[in-house]
Amino acid sequence: MTAGAGDRSGSDPGDHRRPRWVYGEGTEPDARFSLANERTALAWVRTGVGLVAGGVALTSFSTFANLPGLVDVVAAVACLVGGGCAIYALVSWRRNERALRRREPLPAPGGLPVLVTAVILLAVLIAGYAAAAGLGESAVLP
Amino acid sequence: MTGVPRDEGLQPERTALAWHRTVLGVIVGALLLGAAGLRSGHWVIVWAAVVVALLALAPAVLRRPTGGLPSHGRLYSWSFLVRLVLLVLLLAGTGAAWALYRAVEAL
Repeated sequence: MTAGAGDRSGSDPGDHRRPRWVYGEGTEPDARFSLANERTALAWVRTGVGLVAGGVALTSFSTFANLPGLVDVVAAVACLVGGGCAIYALVSWRRNERALRRREPLPAPGGLPVLVTAVILLAVLIAGYAAAAGLGESAVLP
Repeated sequence: MTGVPRDEGLQPERTALAWHRTVLGVIVGALLLGAAGLRSGHWVIVWAAVVVALLALAPAVLRRPTGGLPSHGRLYSWSFLVRLVLLVLLLAGTGAAWALYRAVEAL
């Protein structure tokens, strides 16, 4: 199955898989590489799901505890960054699979710095809010 | 060829388990959203969560871990991946819309 996979020249005419941008190029790579690419994409989807779940949890917590609007803004940003991670999963899967098929080096993971920046930003916002709320409380209490 | 060829790195199993983890995450996220919608009485949110949770089960049922590499050397990941990402986007959109609605309401 994997033996002779590299012998196929050009795109296989019997291969009708979509997207054609990926499968219309190069030759079939080792199935294990494609599986690894799939797992990487799924890891991005999971990261996105985690952020979305965190945002939803934060909104519902803010609803029940009557927290100020800033917390909801942070929750919305978390949800949007999570959705962005999910979209990036598709983009990076396509780019990586195409590079695998063309036997080219894999493209750099450009989404990673963006994700790290967003997570740091969210953490700083929440920490800032928590610190401000804590200081406010100690000012009110004797 | 005798039966399904096994891969010693267990790549197909790992991939199937990665799918299951992801589906589980989507369903937990949907449950979180549904529970929050129930408590605050937003039925649109509850229905969106139920739809996401049910649709997310499709790749889990259709991609069981068989342990074999694809028999004819072809993987069909794209359509499953697109569907899963659309579900996550639906979840993200509902969550973000609710959060922004609350933030605007608080002004």
